[in-house]
This record gives sequence, structure tokens and C-alpha cells, in this order.
Amino acid sequence: MSELIDVSVEFSRLKLANPVFTASGTCGYADELADFTNVNQLGGFITKSITAKLRQGNDTPRVVETDSGMLNAIGLANIGLDAFIQEKLPIIAKLTVPVFVNVAGETIDDYVAVVQRLATEQAIAGFELNISCPNVAKGGLSFGTDPAQVTEITSAVKQAAGEKVLMVKLSPCVTDISVIARAAVEAGADALSLINTFTAMVIDIETRKPVLANKTGGLSGPVIKPIAVYLVNKVYNEVTKERGIPILGLGGIRTASDAVEFIIAGATAVAVGTANFVEPNCTTKIIEGLKRYCTSHNITNIKELIGSLG
Amino acid sequence: MTNESFGPNKGMFDAAVFANKQIGQRFYRLGLEFSADAAAAFAKASPGQFAELDLSGIALPPVEGIAEDLRDVSERKILLRRPFSFCDVSSHRGKTKVEILYCALGPATLRMTALSAGKSVSVIGPLGNGFRMPAGKKMVLLVSGGMGAGPLIHLAKTLTADCPDVEAIAFAGAKTKTELPFEKPTDEISQQLGFSLHEFARFGVESVLATDDGSIGYQGLITDCFSKWLGQRSLLARDAIIYSCGPEKMLARMAKIAEDKKIDCQISMERMMACGFGVCQSCAVKCKVNGSGETLYKLCCKDGPVFDTREVIFSA
Repeated sequence: MSELIDVSVEFSRLKLANPVFTASGTCGYADELADFTNVNQLGGFITKSITAKLRQGNDTPRVVETDSGMLNAIGLANIGLDAFIQEKLPIIAKLTVPVFVNVAGETIDDYVAVVQRLATEQAIAGFELNISCPNVAKGGLSFGTDPAQVTEITSAVKQAAGEKVLMVKLSPCVTDISVIARAAVEAGADALSLINTFTAMVIDIETRKPVLANKTGGLSGPVIKPIAVYLVNKVYNEVTKERGIPILGLGGIRTASDAVEFIIAGATAVAVGTANFVEPNCTTKIIEGLKRYCTSHNITNIKELIGSLG
Repeated sequence: MTNESFGPNKGMFDAAVFANKQIGQRFYRLGLEFSADAAAAFAKASPGQFAELDLSGIALPPVEGIAEDLRDVSERKILLRRPFSFCDVSSHRGKTKVEILYCALGPATLRMTALSAGKSVSVIGPLGNGFRMPAGKKMVLLVSGGMGAGPLIHLAKTLTADCPDVEAIAFAGAKTKTELPFEKPTDEISQQLGFSLHEFARFGVESVLATDDGSIGYQGLITDCFSKWLGQRSLLARDAIIYSCGPEKMLARMAKIAEDKKIDCQISMERMMACGFGVCQSCAVKCKVNGSGETLYKLCCKDGPVFDTREVIFSA
């Protein structure tokens, strides 16, 4: 029965087999997950952030658990553009799933350099612009909290991205996320992903110091899910619905029911992040669960669910 | 190394608990049994490798069973898996038994004490790189601090089987005798410096103990005890190798001793990690780049947890 359910979605210019992605920074460059799951059955795959030059990342501790969530302050540790092209692109080229490369940088030129270099690569379906990383001194979140800067960086990268789908990842750490979303969409973003993590702190009460070497980190996991659902619904209603721009919803998704909530709120697709650390094959379970939900609710096409909040 | 005919090298599996024995004030040995593909994967587990256990679904033991100083922390909910190395691995008739030595001191390990025989636990592993065997060495020195004894017990067993001509001796230290993670009550052991801890003696490996307070064995740090022992021996550096596991401060001291004496030294390190299989990038260990003044971060889970002391820049 569940085989008769159409779970495919249109995500900007892409047709996806199903609406489930893995979130950037939780699945490496795909090869690390090969022992646990088949990434080709996903709707989409998003790489760990790539910057123009190799980044070592922050000092440790880089991660700390909190009730129903975790804080991370990795600091965009990654192998850099050249090594990505040499070592990881050949692996990605073998995948049949649409792959988005998450791009980060300290300056607009950094972002443009990475996107320009990768824009002609057949293996890549699109880019996710990371203007919302809370754990780096320069760039990152500072781009994502000022609408004028969002406009500037999005239009510059859009030009460099050519035919590839450009998705902009938004931070929840702003006064009004719709203002930022509108700036990104009006500057040419083909899709939005939201939300990135919340800036947060955990204190060691013995030493009276922050646990993380970076002092603050980004809060993720089930604890942020209801806020993420609210923000997806807000951006859907205020910005993307009338413009036909798809949202990739993420923040604390662990089960198919979580994914359904985001889709009802207005997300065309969803991404699973922190849950991959605990259950590296949970996306498989979520895809099956979405089909089961549709079957038991007499939904033959999952697109009927998108933005169906009553 | 993937050999399809023998199943995967690692994966996410369900294990059946066959034992969970308290062996000291806060120490336990958890026994897990694996079948089918999981048994094949874990049969290949080498000393120093580890597994990630999902303990989030286990209820806490009754509050009266939890020490007063741990009750507050025990109430925290857990989300992430926890990494544990192995103190024993054995295979028989298609099943593999893995034992984990652990200390109940936080919300996850306190839940772990409530696992009883027959219960099922989700396990990802075996993960990381274990200790490399001592090619061409005649003397193996196993030096542990506190819970660090676990993977060295496993190593003692493997050494006996794989390198029967090698002489091995174990050094185990802790703050006080109740913090030594061994089954036999230490006050029943001879108070001489040459001890016979059952965990090592069964593999023909003698033990030396040290406690900070002198409640058993040498009074002082295990590293001082080890250093003194080395000073009394005329040992050819090239014939010996040190394997060590314990708190980072202790490992940093071990690195210094190994450097001074020019003895090879492999250490098993620990970091807070979210995944254990190389994607979260949390468990960075600062390392030297060979032949330059530069540094790079390696991952404790994927590049380690066993490192050569010559490459590590210690944070403690």
C-alpha cells in the first residue's frame, strides 16, 4: 500500500524522490555514513561546510550535551576547497542523490570563490549558503543577521552559482526571521533552509567556566523543534508561500511525526541533523514513516501536506 | 580491510546483555553478546577500539541505589550515545561476547547499571583504531590510571595470544584503593610492590599498583612509580614499548617519560564526542605535523583513539 504513495517533491528546479535530507555537518561528505545507511535513498544530501581554505576549527571541548539537545562549537573545521575537489568530489560524483554543498566563508569573496569553482561540477545539484554559523569569529552569523548583508552576499553568490539551485540557511538568532528570509529571496535565493542552531552556553559549576572552549555553541536537537516549526510556519506565511519558494525545514527532527509537523507548517522538504549522531540510519526510518503516515491519513501525494496547517 | 564474506567491519547492532556485575564501589563490568553480522564485526575488535552505546531509553535505578552526591546529576536526560572501550572480547560458535569496564558517575552510566541480563542495547561499533602490536619488542609496559585499565586488560589478553615471547608488566594507579577498577578487593592482595591482579595475572602479567594516598601499593602518582621502576632497570629502549590509558594529565606525563627514555609509547585518548564515527568533528586532538612546527587536529574517534605520544600536543 505504502508503495502507491507519491512522496516525491519539487524543490525549486529539482525533483526529489522524497522530502528527506541529511543536514550539513552531521553526515560529513557521505562516505562516513556508508557503513550505516544508503545515502542514495535520501531526497537530498548536504555536505559539511566547505571554505576556500582548510579550517582547523576550534579548540576542545567542542561539544556538550544538554537535556534533549546538544551544543556544538566546531568552528567550521573542514578540508578546504582544493582537498574537497580532489578527495570528496569523486565520491560525491558516484552518488545518485542530489547533493548540495554547504558553503561558508569570512568574506563575500570567499563564498563566491568556492561557489564559482564548483558551479560547473555535474556532481553538484546546488549550494546551501551558510550565513548562520554561530561559532566563528569572522563571517558566519554576522552575515545572516543584517538584511543588507544578506542581500549583498545572496546576489553575489547567485551570480556565481549559475544554473545550480541556491539555498540560503537562516539563523533563528534574529529579531524577525521573515525580514532576513525576504532579503534572501528578493536577492535571488531559490530556496531557504531553516533553522540553524541557537547560540547558547553551558556552565561547569565546579570551575565556574563555560564547558565549551569557544564559550558559546549552537544548540540543536529535539529541544529546539517546536521553535523551528514555528519559524518555518512564520516564514512560509509571510515570505515564501506567495513566491513559490521551497523551505527545507530542520531543527530537532528525529522521527517521521517530527518531519510531518514541519511539512504541515510549510516545509517542502526536511533535514535531519543531530539525530544522525545517535541513529545514523534514522533517515530511512523517517522516509518509511512518512509513507505510513500518508497511508493512514488517506494522502496519496505528500505535496498535499505542504503548508496544510489549519 | 572489508571482506564481504566475513560481514561488515562495523555497524549499528543490537546486543543482548549477559552480565552487569558490580566489582567495586562505582565500578561495573557489562557483558554484551552479539550474534550474526555483529558477532563477526566484534570478533575482529582490537584492544583500544570502542563502541557507542545508546543508553537514552534505560530507566534510572531506584533513587536509594544512587549515591547522594550523584542524585542531582542523575536526573539529567540524555540524548547522545556514550563511547566505551572493551576489557575483553571473545568469540565462540558464531557469538561474540564483549565486556566493558565502566564507572557509574553520570546520567548515562547510572542508567547503564540498571541493565540486566536479557535486555537489549543498541551498539555502534567497533570504532576507531586500536593499539598496534609490538613488532620486534621484548618488553611491554602497560600503564593505566583509574578506568584506563579497561583496554589494557584486553591488550594483555591479545598480547599473550599473539606475542607469547613478549614479557609484559602492568602498572595501575588511582587516587585511592577503592578507585582501582579491579574485581578482587585490593586489600586481599599482597602489600608487596609486585602484585598479582587477577585481571592481568590470568594472562601471566604481573602488576604494580600505586595510589595517590598510599592506601595500597606505591604512595604517589602511577607515573612517578613507573618512572622509578624504569630507573631501577637496565632496559634497552628499542626492546620496550609502553601502552597507556588514563586521564590526559597522566598521559602527558607518560609522553615525557617515554621521550626522556626514548621508548615507543602508544596512548588511548578520550574526548567528548557526539557521533563516534567521524562526522560531528567534536573530538579533536591537537597533533604535530611531522617535521614542521605546524599543528593539525586529528579526530579521536576516527584517527585515534590510540595515538603515538610523539604526535600529540596535550591540552592538560
